[in-house]
Amino acid sequence: MSVTRSFKATDLFKFNHINLDLWTETYAISFYLSYLSRWPDMCAVQETPQGRMMGYVIGKAEGSGTERHGHVTALSVAPEYRRLGVSRRFMAWLEKVSDENYRGLFVDLYVRCVNFAAIQMYEGMGYSVYRRVREYYSNLGLGHSVRDEEDGFDMRKPLPRDPMRRSVRSNGRDIVVSANEVP
Amino acid sequence: MDRQIRPIYEALDTNSNKSAILACNKVLKKQPNNLLVKALKALALVRSQKVEEALVLCDEVLAAKPADEATLAAMMHVLRGLGRHMDMVTMYDDAYKQQPANEELGTQTFFANVRIGNWKAAQQIATKMHKQFQDEHYLYWNVMSALLQAKDPNTPETLRPVLLKLAQRLVSQSPTPSYYNADRFHLHVTVLKELGLYDEAYELIESEAGKIICSQFLMCEELRREIWKLKGLTREAGERAEQQILEAKDRNWLEFLAVLDATFADLTVEGADVESAKGSSAERITQTRELFGKVVEQDGVKDRSGHLALLELEKRCRHHGLATDSTTLTSLLESYFQHFGGKACCFEDLKPYIELEGEDLATWTSVLEKQTAQATSVPDLWRFINAQKLLRYNLTEAQLTPEAETQRAVQCLNAYLEGLHLGKDLPSYELQPADDLAVLAAQIFVNIWKRTGDQTPLYNAAALLEYATTKSKMSYQIRLHLIRIYRLLGLPSLALEHYRGINVKQVQNDTLSHFLLSRASTFSLAATGDITYTNECMETSRIYVSNSEETSEFIVRAFGGEKYSQIPDFILFEECLDNSLQRDLIKMEHVRMRIAHEAINSELVDMELIELKFIFDRLEALVHHDNRDFSILANYQPRCGASFIDQTESLEKTPGFGWLWVFLKIYIKAFQLASDLDDTVEDKLLIGDRPKPSNDPETKLPLKERLTKRKQEEINELSSDEAAFYDYASALSEWLTPYHDYARPPPSVVLAEAAKLTEQKTGHTLKGLELPPDAATNGNGKKDEEPPAVVEPPASISKHFDDVLQRFKEVLDGKAVPFELLHVVTLAQEAYLLFAIETTRFKTASVIKQNKFGGLSQHIKDIRNKSTAVINEMSGALLNRAESEATQESRKAVIEACKPIIHESGLDHDFVLNVAKKITDARKQIYDGIGKGMAKLAKTYA
Repeated sequence: MSVTRSFKATDLFKFNHINLDLWTETYAISFYLSYLSRWPDMCAVQETPQGRMMGYVIGKAEGSGTERHGHVTALSVAPEYRRLGVSRRFMAWLEKVSDENYRGLFVDLYVRCVNFAAIQMYEGMGYSVYRRVREYYSNLGLGHSVRDEEDGFDMRKPLPRDPMRRSVRSNGRDIVVSANEVP
Repeated sequence: MDRQIRPIYEALDTNSNKSAILACNKVLKKQPNNLLVKALKALALVRSQKVEEALVLCDEVLAAKPADEATLAAMMHVLRGLGRHMDMVTMYDDAYKQQPANEELGTQTFFANVRIGNWKAAQQIATKMHKQFQDEHYLYWNVMSALLQAKDPNTPETLRPVLLKLAQRLVSQSPTPSYYNADRFHLHVTVLKELGLYDEAYELIESEAGKIICSQFLMCEELRREIWKLKGLTREAGERAEQQILEAKDRNWLEFLAVLDATFADLTVEGADVESAKGSSAERITQTRELFGKVVEQDGVKDRSGHLALLELEKRCRHHGLATDSTTLTSLLESYFQHFGGKACCFEDLKPYIELEGEDLATWTSVLEKQTAQATSVPDLWRFINAQKLLRYNLTEAQLTPEAETQRAVQCLNAYLEGLHLGKDLPSYELQPADDLAVLAAQIFVNIWKRTGDQTPLYNAAALLEYATTKSKMSYQIRLHLIRIYRLLGLPSLALEHYRGINVKQVQNDTLSHFLLSRASTFSLAATGDITYTNECMETSRIYVSNSEETSEFIVRAFGGEKYSQIPDFILFEECLDNSLQRDLIKMEHVRMRIAHEAINSELVDMELIELKFIFDRLEALVHHDNRDFSILANYQPRCGASFIDQTESLEKTPGFGWLWVFLKIYIKAFQLASDLDDTVEDKLLIGDRPKPSNDPETKLPLKERLTKRKQEEINELSSDEAAFYDYASALSEWLTPYHDYARPPPSVVLAEAAKLTEQKTGHTLKGLELPPDAATNGNGKKDEEPPAVVEPPASISKHFDDVLQRFKEVLDGKAVPFELLHVVTLAQEAYLLFAIETTRFKTASVIKQNKFGGLSQHIKDIRNKSTAVINEMSGALLNRAESEATQESRKAVIEACKPIIHESGLDHDFVLNVAKKITDARKQIYDGIGKGMAKLAKTYA
């Protein structure tokens, strides 16, 4: 339960409790504004009845032909609002927008190979690893193997326009590409 | 040609500005009038901070009225770098006039106006372009510009409806209907909304196409809700929401609110017959209760909305006197707690519903007290944490005795240590589920301090939070608590350490830096050469530069990509940062630190005078925004008292606009006296755009009057020591003004000097400056008037230093927190520096002699001797105190204070000893540094 609304530029003043988190990056202003100035319909916020931001999602639409898809660039929920289905609602919403507004075939996202909680969550929502991307992230110094910490999984979920599930594969974890091979 | 130009671009692209300049010079040798190369050289110069040289070239290029795209593009970057957006408009305007058929030039001219928010001109250009090039998007640019002009505060009231009607007429002329594009549709509906044409807006939204757009685009859906509300369709919105909830299983809280609003619609209509409305509402309440009941049944613990909606329903029933069963509220609360007590958000969810009294409170309290600390699972633990927060919220004054509070704190701490077991297998970077218990315990200790004045609980809070932060390294909440407490305890190095641990970045510099930089000059060791805090101000302020460089580009991009829905928010965002209160507060702190660190010479004085006056004008002319994030700091204090953030505010006064006004006035006045620049000179020397003048009659008063205006609401934001400092500063400047005004060299002399310096530096004369022929020679402009007679200084100036010394002795021996001691000391130092700033002019023997100020010189000497003695005495006492800080005894005292929290293992004696060592070392460092800094300043300015 929450209020879902569009993400506004002025929300950058209010997202501290979400962004002061290990897995969440606070980017330059230009990052957020470039998304809002191109895909405002793929950026959303959920807030509490009291008007406090619970989390946000920032996405984009890219690719053409069979590669046309929605992409989740950032999704983050403040610790105090986790386990309330906030992410699930965001993802369902973004899948709907990717399908209806952009006629996408799938939705994809990147996640650190060591962010086990997130990987498990996305798997529960029907996402699967499509490939492993070498050195996609910077090191966090968490004490995992360097490789695991810097590599990311590209995870995907097919949308109704891909009924044959051509956009996913079962052995994705074994397929490794370098960071410059992905968009 | 291309062969010569390419290396310049390459050098610029790789940021090798030096080689770019060399490459430009090579070409310019052969073609001294090549505009493009001149423009590129200017760009390289701007980027290497050589502003004066860049200006000369820039003006040459502008004078030639360039029209080719390459030169214009280069100049756009140059002018943006110099902040000369107005010139950019003129440049493109001229170019477009030369080539009216050039669509790209038209577009750039439009964008140049967009960047400076000149909607009127933008609208005219869009009109012209639409006529000429016939592309539909120019029509919508026109509509958007008209709408923005109508909303601009500088647009006269009478013109607004005209502009909105124009916008409406334009949209209706569009050959393709607006609903082909969500953002055009959004714009169309917005125009109708602004005109109050709700029926038309409704029709648009409820059309076949409109419905589809609203279902696909959140921003349009939001607009739809708004229009329904404006049309007064509360009942219909409720019916629609009911369907959404039941059929589409929508759990958007807004749907529940719509149902609730509809339920009480009869009662909220103006002029309604209350009695009959109550009757009809009672019926509806029953229906609504059934609806929400159904939702609860369906969802169980899967979703909170049905449960929370029942609570909201009951709250509103009570509000309207329609509650039928007095036990409903507490049983709903109990049920909610049972269902969702295991979630972290439970306390926040219930807070609006638990302001209870009497029997209700007793029932509710007994429910919560049943919750024991023994937790075998994380949800169990959360139930206990939530129970503690909820209980605490309703504690009364009488229940807050130090004994009871200590017991509560220890109970929370014990539960915390116990609760750590539940997270012992988590990776070190995860948050501990028990964290909030440590935070609770810390807040309780702070509450005890606040109520008794005894500082020992603060040490307990600090030590236990230090322990918690070793267990939960990524918890910003724990670190923010430590920052608040360390500031009170006068430990800036430790506060800084935790602030850095939070890793504040980008826009957070605006919203979060107040935690570190509020009154930061209290902690600055700039006088000793340690500029850590000064640098922190500089680093933090960078975000404002990137905002003014980048954000307007996205407004332009939003126009380019026709994302009209975003434009008003982008503009607001840019303004919020540009006119951010925190930005100016940081600047003020920076100035206060800078004068302690650098030599007070004309360079410093002139520069700060210009900058502060700029801020002063802008503060008067434009709406400012307080973006500081205070809500991020958790508050678990009882509702009968102050919140945690207020309790831990230094001196209980948060610097705001009033505070800023006072300090701006103090420093502008002081720098004005010290400076040779007067307004006419400054105008000639300033580059870049000025703030737009406002329409407020008060700002039309001469600066002199505005500076001396004292307002009580401003003074209310000052601590008592700051208020005394303000009085002192006013008396001092008032006394010295006539002598400065008389002795200051005339403007022509000052300008001649500036011109000479510029010429020496750049080899060019100062642009736009015509000097009277005799100015350069007539060095000390003879004055016609007699010098003002020297009068005795008001006694309050000298007395201020007596008072300050008295205050110092009080806080040194009293119960005040160390912050207050440092506050008194650094303000004394500031008073001393202010005196130095305002008397430097009279240190020159020739000034005294020429103006017959011999008497003045003696008065100044008297005050200087007196104040120097006071500063030296304070410095000595502080250095003594520093010696006694980092000793075994002082550490022992901290450990002794922390007795209530020391445990056998983990948070044990050794851990607390380490914290005690950190604290006492840091305390010694700050006392020692401030003491030495004062001694140094006393030597410099004695």
